[in-house]
Amino acid sequence: MLALLPAALQRARVPPSAAAGAVAAAAAALLAWQAPAVADGQLLLFSVPWVPHIGLDFAFRLDGLSLLFAALIVGIGLLVILYAHYYLSDEDRNGRFFAYLLLFMGAMLGVVTADNLLLLLVFWELTSLSSFLLIGFWRGSAEARQGARLALLVTGAGGLALLAGVVLIGDIVGSYSLGEVLAAGDAIRGDDRYPLLLALVLLGAFTKSAQFPFHFWLPHAMAAPTPVSAYLHSATMVKAGIFLLMRLWPALAGSEEWFWVVGGTGLVTMIFAAYVALFQHDLKGLLAYSTVSQLGLITLLLGLGTPLAEIAAVFHVINHAAFKASLFMAAGIVDHETGTRDMRRLSGLARHMPYTATLAIVAASAMAGVPLLNGFISKEMFFAETFALPAPWSWVMPLAATLGGLFSVAYSARFVHDVFFGGQARDLPRTPHEPPRFMRVPVEILVVICLLVGLGPGLIVEPALRLAASALLQGPLPAFSLALWHGLNLPVLMSVVALAGGIALYLARRYLWSLHAETARALSGKRITESTVTALSAASTWLHGLIDRGGLRLSLVALLLVALAAGVAGFLPGPPVPTKVPLPAGLAGWAGFAALACAAAATVVLHRERLLAVVCVGVIGLVVSLAFVRLSAPDLALTQLLVEVITVLLLLLAMYFLPQRSPRESSGGRRAVDAFIAFLAGAGAAVLAWAMMLAPGETLSGFYLGQAKPGGGGYNVVNVILVDFRALDTLGEITVLGIAAFAVVAILDRIELPGRPLDWDGRPWPAGRSLLLEVLSRPLLPLALLVSTYLLLRGHNLPGGGFIAGLVTGTAVLVQYLGHGNAWVEARLPPRYTSVAALGIALAAVTGLASLAFGAPFLTSTFGYLDWPVVGRFEVASAMVFDLGVYLAVVGVVLSVLATIGRQHNAPEAG
Amino acid sequence: MEGLVAVAIGVLVAAGVYLALRPRLFSVLLGITLLSYAVNLFLLAAGGLVVDAAPLTDRPGPYPDPLPQALVLTAIVISFGMTALVIVLTLRAMSERGHDRVDDGPDGGPA
Amino acid sequence: MNGLLLAPILLPLAGGIVAMLGGRRGLAAERLVGAAATILLLPVAVALFAVADEGPIVSHAVGDWPAPYGIILVLDRLAAWMLLVTAIVATAAVLVAIGRSDGAGRHFHSLFQFQLLGVNGAFLTGDLFNLFVFFEVLLIASYALLSHGSRPERTQAAIRVAVLNLLGSTLFLVAIGCLYAAAGTLNLADLAARAATLPADRLGLWQAGGWLLIVVFALKAAVLPLGFWLPGAYGVTDGAVAALFSVLTKVGVVAIVRCCTLVFPGLDAGPVLWAAAIGTLTLGATGMLAARRLSTLAAHAVVLSVGLLLVSIAHFTRDSLAAATFYLAHGTFATAALFLVAMRVSAVRGGMGDALAEGPALRGRLALPAAFLLAAVAVAGLPPLGGFLAKLAILDAATGARGAAWTFAAVLAASLVSIVALARAGTTVFWKVGRGDDQAAEDPPSSPLAVAGTGLLLAVVVALALLAGPAFGRADLVAGQLLDREGYIRAVLGGRPGGGG
Repeated sequence: MLALLPAALQRARVPPSAAAGAVAAAAAALLAWQAPAVADGQLLLFSVPWVPHIGLDFAFRLDGLSLLFAALIVGIGLLVILYAHYYLSDEDRNGRFFAYLLLFMGAMLGVVTADNLLLLLVFWELTSLSSFLLIGFWRGSAEARQGARLALLVTGAGGLALLAGVVLIGDIVGSYSLGEVLAAGDAIRGDDRYPLLLALVLLGAFTKSAQFPFHFWLPHAMAAPTPVSAYLHSATMVKAGIFLLMRLWPALAGSEEWFWVVGGTGLVTMIFAAYVALFQHDLKGLLAYSTVSQLGLITLLLGLGTPLAEIAAVFHVINHAAFKASLFMAAGIVDHETGTRDMRRLSGLARHMPYTATLAIVAASAMAGVPLLNGFISKEMFFAETFALPAPWSWVMPLAATLGGLFSVAYSARFVHDVFFGGQARDLPRTPHEPPRFMRVPVEILVVICLLVGLGPGLIVEPALRLAASALLQGPLPAFSLALWHGLNLPVLMSVVALAGGIALYLARRYLWSLHAETARALSGKRITESTVTALSAASTWLHGLIDRGGLRLSLVALLLVALAAGVAGFLPGPPVPTKVPLPAGLAGWAGFAALACAAAATVVLHRERLLAVVCVGVIGLVVSLAFVRLSAPDLALTQLLVEVITVLLLLLAMYFLPQRSPRESSGGRRAVDAFIAFLAGAGAAVLAWAMMLAPGETLSGFYLGQAKPGGGGYNVVNVILVDFRALDTLGEITVLGIAAFAVVAILDRIELPGRPLDWDGRPWPAGRSLLLEVLSRPLLPLALLVSTYLLLRGHNLPGGGFIAGLVTGTAVLVQYLGHGNAWVEARLPPRYTSVAALGIALAAVTGLASLAFGAPFLTSTFGYLDWPVVGRFEVASAMVFDLGVYLAVVGVVLSVLATIGRQHNAPEAG
Repeated sequence: MEGLVAVAIGVLVAAGVYLALRPRLFSVLLGITLLSYAVNLFLLAAGGLVVDAAPLTDRPGPYPDPLPQALVLTAIVISFGMTALVIVLTLRAMSERGHDRVDDGPDGGPA
Repeated sequence: MNGLLLAPILLPLAGGIVAMLGGRRGLAAERLVGAAATILLLPVAVALFAVADEGPIVSHAVGDWPAPYGIILVLDRLAAWMLLVTAIVATAAVLVAIGRSDGAGRHFHSLFQFQLLGVNGAFLTGDLFNLFVFFEVLLIASYALLSHGSRPERTQAAIRVAVLNLLGSTLFLVAIGCLYAAAGTLNLADLAARAATLPADRLGLWQAGGWLLIVVFALKAAVLPLGFWLPGAYGVTDGAVAALFSVLTKVGVVAIVRCCTLVFPGLDAGPVLWAAAIGTLTLGATGMLAARRLSTLAAHAVVLSVGLLLVSIAHFTRDSLAAATFYLAHGTFATAALFLVAMRVSAVRGGMGDALAEGPALRGRLALPAAFLLAAVAVAGLPPLGGFLAKLAILDAATGARGAAWTFAAVLAASLVSIVALARAGTTVFWKVGRGDDQAAEDPPSSPLAVAGTGLLLAVVVALALLAGPAFGRADLVAGQLLDREGYIRAVLGGRPGGGG
């Protein structure tokens, strides 16, 4: 069982590096404990379901391949932690760095040990995320920020492509469990979607491993602290893509597409990056490109597809990790001690730091493929494999390989010569000297490994290699030997050519400089990506700017057009067919219609003359009211009329503060468009209405008509529906009113509305109040209250009810305001209108709750009969209490809204 | 009669929509009011038209469909609440910005 | 008949009224009532979740009138799921509001409660007109909350949203009219039952009504091309309010789902919804890229999440609906959390607000960047949080369906753009610090309640990822129940065929 390392939040007082080291060491110990079992050929699995629904399990496997990579990750991680402890300054050496580092380590371990493809994806993205945090660690530097974002963008995009590819694989195989996927290789390769799937997976792998053309993020990631570069960008994260290719090899490899794409990409990357590496001025930049090139080499090997090539690939992974990490650390030492990484300024450091120089030279030689070091052996294997191809590639590959080797010798030479040899360096920020002892130790360890493996590969590394390679191939291994010397054959010849040619190239590099400078400028991947992002960003900004400028009108027009489309879509099968004979209209009908049409036209034409427009709207409301009367809806007519009155009052009150006239602001074109849309909307509504009225069907009305008296206790069916059958709607409705009232109070709180000293026509407002109104309004209130009560009580059986009664009372009180002024009214009637509204709602709700108390559902009504002496038999229903609540709510709301607005009239005039 | 009602609804909707697309809030309010009248008629029409009757069961039939009437009543009241709120918001906008244009015009738009 | 069904409606109603009345005694009393009412919703929602989990759909006939004549409240798995999500987000939002901003205007808590009333009612109702009423409650409360805090841009936004939704409500009524004329009933189950036996001459009305309903819900859900209003509104309002608003769009989405699975399967709205969803995804992603303030970024993230939801819903298969249900929860939590974090960033940066530009250094504290990172990972759908799992599920469910290539391309491209936008925002706000001379004078003290609220939401996001197994299991059951029309109809109508006079 492999326990996964979570990222510990390093908040402890314990020195964070020590804590990190301890965690890494624990992981190493765990691995070591499991290793013998794996070495015996066992496959260790651990699985806990996480989200069975999508096939994601928290499943891990430890086989040869994952053991090897895990050892790499943990081992080099330990060394890096030690190195970082000395590299980082005190303030950097806080918990944050090591927390991110451990997070990364955990994520990387997750990638290599995941037994479920989806789980692998999860960890894959986590490595991108933690790499982002680590690259941007020195957040003050713009390069660090940009480098971090670039890395996230590229690897993130790759990760998403990988996601798509994995989902496709899952669809083909039927499971995401690695064991099943690896066994289903033929099914995958045979599927129609194989090329697409392969492309997606390769996108993921190539972006992560910085293969051409996705390599450009890696050099910019060098803005990270060197321990990060040493760990992530040489030994671990960039190897994740390679690991993926190795892990999925049984499932995906072996096809034509694999050979061409993987092999081709690897080849191009190897040569291209090696060429560019030579011309870098930044130490870490050179190393970065060389990493890209070496990864290209490994990719090429994986692409070749022969089992021996795979073994060579695994071998080179190990070797590359060893020498590259040590080289990065050495570069970091140089940077740390001298203050610069620019190779044009560095020179002759061997004099000042001989030990470091020696270590670096050995490591660089390993990189160049000098015999007796590990790099040589794996290069030899590589060269050998390039011959194992059919014609015509049998000579192109070896040639290309030699070229690649040549370049790598050249840049290794540059690294060594420019930095450590040559004249005395001038003008360095710090005086160079040897680093602290323990900062060199990790480098020493790694270099020793290079030497040991180079000298005695069979002893040191062969068992591990066999183990890993067999896990990769999921099959038997071909025969091979890792001897130091296979005899004088072509690979050796190629190595010699490479060595000689590389040194020659280095010596002659002067002449190539200008050539390189030209091409580099044109092909900056970073520039291309960033300009793409900028362009996309600009386009987005433009688009959304357009939308913003469209404002409300854009949304309204969109809604109208979509609604029209919806209406039309409904009738696509066939136009509406009338099944009923229309009723005769009669004179009254035509008169009403004429009045309405004229008023509507008037409103539209005169809408900028606001007062007139309000009058026209009032006329329309009146006509509608009358229409309700004609169409057998007395309650509606009453309500409409009263609401109309109050709305007009509201509009007039508001108009006091608004401009008297609207200016002509919209162009003729806009008005034409609006008119057209309005016409369409009107036509659509008319057609819909016509279709509705002439296609009658069976509705629920029969039930209501039948049950209103027996079940609800009233003859006025509409009222019974409102307070009984559908009381919840009414409760909601008065809540809406209540909210409106509270909101009005909240919105008008503390605003300053400038009044108007002069009216529309420039005359001063008449002082004082209308005597007539004042006199008439006095008896109006008690009369209105009487009428309200009557309407409230009779509502159950005749037109009336809580709403209408409430509106009447509200209007009457309003007239008092108009007649006597705010002060007079509020002295007599404390303006706690919102509370009245709230109480009304509460009352209505409580009636409903009362029924709950009796075991019946909410808002169940009952009724009974009372005998009053004079009046006679009188019916009492609980719905009446509900209606009372409605009444109170309506009164409260109407008055609170109008009084609050009315109060605004007072404030500015007080002065 | 049905035809008249339908055309009336259409006229009101057309007028209402036109006004709602105006650049000044006051006109928009008028338009919304007209639209609400239209939709009230529309809902009433959904139950079919019955002339010169009443939904009171102590009288003889025919009866109109009472359910749409209840719906319209609720709708009238709710739109009254909404309209009041929008009017008040307009006042607030007036006090904050000094105009009652719907959108902020060419100088300065929403963030 | 289960009285507990009423609690999500009655509790906020009582809370709103009492808060209003108690507000006369001062802000403290109002806060107490508001907080209590909201927090009490949590155990209620959990209890209802447990009830719904037992399987059968539970209903409550208000007024003791049988369906379809009375209004029926229906608790099915989806309703319970959404009630729980709402309760959690509301608790976080109210805590943050108490900690920071509720004093900026009057009646905040009362309005907040009424908002919850509208939302909960919309989830629970089984009647079309009742849905309209609850929608109106929800909308009017939202206009008031939008303008809370008295800033000109908020008033402007409130007016725009109000006018637009007034038109929308008008359309809702037109749709109701059409449907009533076509089918003669308003009860959802009854409508569904009658759908099969409609005579041909009313079919046009029926379909027109159905499409109009979808348009109205799409307006609320901010689906392209009806979603232009959202960033302007959610991006300027108070952060705690915006967090609650994350739930509002989901009301629209849930209404669409309910509508299309139950009442209008014959409409075959899937392809249209799918196309609109792809457009919404694109619009949300580009909006995130174009955003110049953190809250605007979060608002566009809401649009993106709606697009992602719909793209999965539009297939109407069990797997795709399950994935969407899971994402309903995660997406709402994630965007709400981002709003809350943006609010804190704005407070800390003083005059800079939450503009995405170089600003003063956020001294030393780790909590805020960490919170942003967590929220950003959640919103971007990166592992190991639920957004990634949801994306996996959505893509997995989409592989067999039509237009799979477009779905994949759009979802992945939108994800990439959102990652880029969030990374850029994060590095600009937290890493690209100014030259020290424009440092924020004094960090405003961080209210423990506000921290608790934001922390709660982030913790829930993480918990959802950890418990993704059981969560997905429940989501699958939700989807199964949704596709079982007959079951719903039977449960509500009690075995009665097609209603009738």
